[in-house]
Amino acid sequence: MAEATETTRKRSQVADVDRSLYDFKYSEEGFERYADGLSTDIVRAISEKKDEPQWMLDMRLKALAIYEEMEMPANWGPSIEMLDLNHISAYVSPKTKQASSWDEVPEDIKNTFERLGIPEAERESLAGVGAQYDSEIVYHNMRAEVADQGVIYTTIEDALHDPELEPIVHEYFGKLIPMRDHKFAALHYAVWSGGSFVYVPEGVTLPYPLQSYFRLNAQGAGQFEHTLIIVEPGADLHFIEGCSAPKYYEANLHAGAVELFVKDNARLRYSTIENWSKNMFNLNTKRATVGADAKMEWVSGSFGSHVSYLYPTTIMQGARSTCEFTGITFAGATQDLDTGCKVILNGPDTTASVDTKSISKDGGINTFRSSIVVGRKADRARATVSCASLMLDDFSRSDTIPAMDVRNGSASVGHEATIGRISDDTILYLMSRGCSEAEARTMVVNGFADPVSKELPMEYAIEMNNLIKLEMEGAIG
Amino acid sequence: MSDQLLTISGLSAGTEDTPILHDINLSIGAGETHVLMGPNGAGKSTLGHVIMGDPVFQVTGGSIMFDGQDVTDKGADKRSLAGIFLSYQAPVEVPGVPLYSFLRTICQMRPELKTTARKFRARVGEIADQLDIDQSFLTRELNVGFSGGEKKKIEMLQLLLLRPKLAILDETDSGLDVDALSIVSKAIEAYRADCDGALLMITHNTRILERLSVDHTHVMVRGNLVADGPASLIDDIDSNGFARFENELAQKGVE
Amino acid sequence: MTQHMDAAAEVATTTLSHINVPPAQTWNYLRINDIKMELPTPKVAGDVYAGLPQLFGKVEVGLGDEAVRWIVSSAGDSNFYEVKASEARTVVVDIDAATGDACDTGVLVRTGAKATIVTFAHGGAEGSSSASLLRVVAEADAEVSIVEIVAHDGGQHLDGVGIDAGERAQIEMRQYALGGSRVAVGLACNLAGNKSRFTLDSRYLAQGSEILDVNHVVRQRGRNTRADIVTTGILADSARKTMRETIDLIHGAKFAEGSEIETVLVTGDDVVNKTLPVILCDEEDVAGNHGASIGAISPEQLSFLGARGLSEEAAEQLFARALFDDAVIHAGNDDACSAVLARAATVLGAEVARDIAEVLGVEPKEA
Repeated sequence: MAEATETTRKRSQVADVDRSLYDFKYSEEGFERYADGLSTDIVRAISEKKDEPQWMLDMRLKALAIYEEMEMPANWGPSIEMLDLNHISAYVSPKTKQASSWDEVPEDIKNTFERLGIPEAERESLAGVGAQYDSEIVYHNMRAEVADQGVIYTTIEDALHDPELEPIVHEYFGKLIPMRDHKFAALHYAVWSGGSFVYVPEGVTLPYPLQSYFRLNAQGAGQFEHTLIIVEPGADLHFIEGCSAPKYYEANLHAGAVELFVKDNARLRYSTIENWSKNMFNLNTKRATVGADAKMEWVSGSFGSHVSYLYPTTIMQGARSTCEFTGITFAGATQDLDTGCKVILNGPDTTASVDTKSISKDGGINTFRSSIVVGRKADRARATVSCASLMLDDFSRSDTIPAMDVRNGSASVGHEATIGRISDDTILYLMSRGCSEAEARTMVVNGFADPVSKELPMEYAIEMNNLIKLEMEGAIG
Repeated sequence: MSDQLLTISGLSAGTEDTPILHDINLSIGAGETHVLMGPNGAGKSTLGHVIMGDPVFQVTGGSIMFDGQDVTDKGADKRSLAGIFLSYQAPVEVPGVPLYSFLRTICQMRPELKTTARKFRARVGEIADQLDIDQSFLTRELNVGFSGGEKKKIEMLQLLLLRPKLAILDETDSGLDVDALSIVSKAIEAYRADCDGALLMITHNTRILERLSVDHTHVMVRGNLVADGPASLIDDIDSNGFARFENELAQKGVE
Repeated sequence: MTQHMDAAAEVATTTLSHINVPPAQTWNYLRINDIKMELPTPKVAGDVYAGLPQLFGKVEVGLGDEAVRWIVSSAGDSNFYEVKASEARTVVVDIDAATGDACDTGVLVRTGAKATIVTFAHGGAEGSSSASLLRVVAEADAEVSIVEIVAHDGGQHLDGVGIDAGERAQIEMRQYALGGSRVAVGLACNLAGNKSRFTLDSRYLAQGSEILDVNHVVRQRGRNTRADIVTTGILADSARKTMRETIDLIHGAKFAEGSEIETVLVTGDDVVNKTLPVILCDEEDVAGNHGASIGAISPEQLSFLGARGLSEEAAEQLFARALFDDAVIHAGNDDACSAVLARAATVLGAEVARDIAEVLGVEPKEA
């Protein structure tokens, strides 16, 4: 595998962005790579390497059994036929210890994250950073003043070795996403590795976001990180998750799990920019449970992967809790992205608003899929779903499949969806003001995406605009 | 004051965050015709809706007496049954409800109008003819897909059918073409003649008033009633506008 | 189909497991992808019945193939009508559950012809079952008006409609699902011809423990096709309703527009209201819209109706009455009106039913 030869570029250099930004790879020579496929031996080996408590190994083995017993999802959205799990390595690890200083991170890996702009962002606008390379976290650090407030930001592996944290992990891990949820949830629990553990004590507000970045460098491998976040009553956290990978022909698999516990009166914003390469099967599971008067905010940008199944779920158990989901999905050539969300309103006076956009072009397929379930006890619950889809040519596809199940007479649920194209009038108007057609189209698409990008941290908003610009340039070129 | 049909005393009201009406005092006697004028945004429509009991607005002070009872805390439906009618500037669309079903239901609610289906049909047909409303409207959904003029005519149809003691007509004349305007004027005359009801006309257009004999004119500026006068006040405003009243209010230090 | 004998009653029944399957499905655990029904097994022993011309076999019906096969085998002789070019004709299909009717009807509407089709199902009671299958092939410039009424007081019912529309064909349809213990209504309209148009006004009421299951599918294949679906319904008590609406904008349907709007008024505390409004699109120059609002009467409407003397409760009653008024207004056939009024008497009381008849000037037949 050849080393990337382009000059290093940073994400924040707007004018200069090009496709090589994410598409560079380094040798995995000297890495520890487990055999492809799945077996009890592999699962035991992962657990042994991590020196886990017995309960975690038991959980992994149980999950493996469930995984083997469960069927592949039949007739579900995009095909995952090309994903052959016998040719995926569940565990690939660089031979390095987790560092808390970038200087201790091996050169290749450090370069990777430099090019993705992570250390710079850390210096400028983050309270802490975790960086995962293939199956293991290679860097983890948090500002001292945040640590002093009792905030914990570490890996689950480290937390399991801390006698004070191990009981907390044991209490919460796997409680929100059951391993029987679907076949890939079972797979995840069998081979999970890496990810983050965040604990924000009662009443603590983090001044800056925490960010975990997931990079899958290895070919034909899976990434199965587990993120567990507990926001105690009255606390406030913004967590950012980024992901990318270089392009290969061989299928890669991402089957992470994110479990979020938002207690009474707390607030959690969870922002994701996902830009996996187009050989990635992104079958990710995210779920939050929200307490009384608490607020869960999801901001989700999906640009990458070959196939995605991604439906972050919010369970609104507490009275007066709120959920906002803002998402955008961009499906270009060879992409089949099935994304959306699920919201379950169980508490009285809960409110949920879902606002999504999708853009399809060059034969890309978008499916927006959602479910809003209003339980019998959710008196006066209110939910609105709004989704807009933009078709940029006549051989792409955009499907909208929102389901609603309302079981309370005093609840109100509204839904609106539109599918359409960029109007010729708009383009003509912009061109009459001196824009080229390409500029006009890019402008319209950026405007369409604007409600989402303005919810993103600045770094990511710029990144998103660049991604759109890239894709649009490709369209007209 | 016992001969007054409507007595508003010291009324202040607004939406949850914005006070709109300030200390309004206004009385309307049975069978009288009053005109409420004022510049755009003065709060004229709000007053109409507050008298009707629109839950969008909250009364923060004062009282509304109607026909001998205090209706300040009563819902709109109770006030309607008591004899108050408000014609909407923009009548609400009610899909799924044919006009016929609606008219029949609102009549049968009222003991004084309850009648056989045959008489009801005859009465509705008569008024529809009077207002030049095609009978096919009766089987269409209430206000759905109606033009502005058609909606206003349907409001007038309800006015004549319900025979209220007090009709508040909120900008009934706005946005109408000449034909529709003449039909609406006819309806107002018919209401005055047949029902002997009181009338509160909210308008900033004086043309529709030409054919009415007006008893009192009120002027509202920025949520305050700033002048009461005879019908001749209308001509004054017609030639001089509201500037005088706005200046007076400003001099009193009311912003 | 799976068949088994009910030992006690000695009635053979058949379970149809996939009725009203929409073109795009979603999570199975939501139980929104289909409905099951257990129905009497059709008599199969060697009889030969008159089926419809084979062209109707190609018409997609919203209920799905399994249910269509069941209705065809249960119906015995089919009824075929041809409305000749430039002629006008009315077809009335009376489905009486008291005699366990299952009707298989095909209407071929020739170029430029006008057809009015009224199907009404009535007489249903606890334990009854009935079915109607209506397939319509509308050739170029045909104008077809369809009124479909299901007005049972109980029992199970299947009501399937399939329409193929040629160039510039205009299909105007009104659908009233007014009652029955377990009712599945499945409609598919194929706008194959350029500039063909489909408008659907669908209204329903479900109360008590009634189950209503609806599937609307519009395939927009032709250029410049238009589909407008407006659905309004009332759910009371512990009624359960599933509404699937699919607008499928198929590649090639340039300049097509499809819209669907659903408004559900929920008056019961134990209702289950499921909605799956789907837009599928693989064409660029199209517009697809969907809107749904589920819950109580909107504050604006409530305020307006209040100003005319209606409390919230009275307004809800108005909406229920209006549904029957509307069905009577558009039934276009005395027998169909009588069926609606009989159901109105059960839902709203005999007095209101009589009032509806008198105000609208129809003479109901004595049941």
